[in-house]
Amino acid sequence: MMDETAERMGFFTDTTLCIGCKACEVACKEWNELPSDGYEFTGMSYDNTKELSGTTWRHVAFVEQDQRWLMESDVCKHCTHAGCLDVCPTGALMRTEFGTVVLQEDICNGCGYCVVACPFGVVAQRQDTKTMGKCTLCYDRLKVGEEPACAKACPTESIQFGVVTELRARAAERVEKVLEQPRYEGARLYLEDPGDGIGGGGSMFLLLDAPEKYGLPPAPVVATRELPAMWTAAFVAAGVLFGGIVLAMVGRK
Amino acid sequence: MNGSTKPGYYGHPMIKPPEWTDLIPVYFWAGGMSGASATMALMQRLRGNEPLATTYVYAAAVGTALSGFCLIADLKRPDRFMNMLRVFKPTSPMSMGVYIFSVFGGATMTAALCSLFGVAKPLGRIAEVVAGFVGPLMSVYTAVLISDTVVPAWYGARLAMPALFAATSASTAGGVGLLFGPADANSSARRLALMGGAAVPVTLQNVHRAVGPFQDRAYKDGQAGPLAHAARAMNIAGTVCALFAGRAPVLGRVAGALLLAGGLAERFAVLRAGCNSASDPAYTIHAQRSGVSSADGS
Repeated sequence: MMDETAERMGFFTDTTLCIGCKACEVACKEWNELPSDGYEFTGMSYDNTKELSGTTWRHVAFVEQDQRWLMESDVCKHCTHAGCLDVCPTGALMRTEFGTVVLQEDICNGCGYCVVACPFGVVAQRQDTKTMGKCTLCYDRLKVGEEPACAKACPTESIQFGVVTELRARAAERVEKVLEQPRYEGARLYLEDPGDGIGGGGSMFLLLDAPEKYGLPPAPVVATRELPAMWTAAFVAAGVLFGGIVLAMVGRK
Repeated sequence: MNGSTKPGYYGHPMIKPPEWTDLIPVYFWAGGMSGASATMALMQRLRGNEPLATTYVYAAAVGTALSGFCLIADLKRPDRFMNMLRVFKPTSPMSMGVYIFSVFGGATMTAALCSLFGVAKPLGRIAEVVAGFVGPLMSVYTAVLISDTVVPAWYGARLAMPALFAATSASTAGGVGLLFGPADANSSARRLALMGGAAVPVTLQNVHRAVGPFQDRAYKDGQAGPLAHAARAMNIAGTVCALFAGRAPVLGRVAGALLLAGGLAERFAVLRAGCNSASDPAYTIHAQRSGVSSADGS
């Protein structure tokens, strides 16, 4: 058992190393006992998984380009400022001692607010339990000192698990090295910056093209950041409504 | 370049569209009407218009019951509704909303029951005062609820949305008074209907302006467009009828029905617009890329 002062843990997914084998998808489903999502042919390259969902917590994207093939294993970002966690009205979503964001499915009442609060389209409804579901960063495995199933299964170390601050340093080093090669000129880090709109991700990525090419939002922002302004606007509107009703009293009955 | 000319990743949604059912716009509509009705009830009581006060006390209670039913029935696990009361989270508009709803709902129900059975009059009056002051917040908090999301059509209009919800609440609450209130004592309902009816197009225009022309397509595509047209037509017709309701009481009834239906259609239009803008990655990309010069040409 790790104690309350455990360090913040996360993923660094280096897409230059991904071979699209989907071992992460399978390992995740196996460990977390997630049901199959059926057999559907999408025509989206080799991607019949399509997206992260309530029962798919790792998703490998395949982007066929003229001279190359991009592959990226997507996962919950375990945001520093997590929209899903902010808006959850039951406390089902919680921050763990590892700095990860976990959805307690035995508490969730399926209100669906987290679904529209996630900048990455990660959280979604589970058809089997009717609650929402998402990656736990293998909270149960972390508890006993094991690494998450996906990272364990990854044969190329494209998925790297570790302490977030160390991963950030490793990612910065790696992108510098990758950029030395002309064929990787579009390489960039994604969600490694604590100054971005979500305060940086617990999951960060080395991408070879713009984030949107992989289906990732280019500049994600946690909506809660603007909440004080929204409530101010709401109180003004409520005040005007009250005033309007008072005004309606002027005149005959 | 992607083997696909569609935006993003094969045109696949970049964020998840709401999982909410059609009960949610009904919940917004009923809650909005109910909130403004509670304030109307209080005002009628204060100026001694007892018949109209009674109408509004019941309207607020019925609206609360309907909105509460929709809120709970939309949960994928309604049996766990009470889990919302185990935390108090200022960062969650839904958590705050549940407490606003609980106080407001308790007050409107108490007021209506006291009135219905003619018992505990002082308690009923206290409940009416509480409901009357919490009412406007009940009417507009749902605007914060949908704006505090990553859905571009809603988040982009986050500062303009509460005014639209307040305007629709006023027009629908005015409509309730015209439809169900005593024809000889509902002039204040008529005035509220006129104010709300006039404010709806103005505040709606502000929502369109706030999101900008690109994002505004979400409010015109699919079902959102026809719903918005229907809402506008009913709102205009209802407002015009309300204008002449003083001459023929039947026009007041028609105006009330039109304003209520128009307000409902407007809530549906806003919800559908959000679904549109979440389902097409172009909206998210545009919202996050505009103003950012990018060598990626995205």
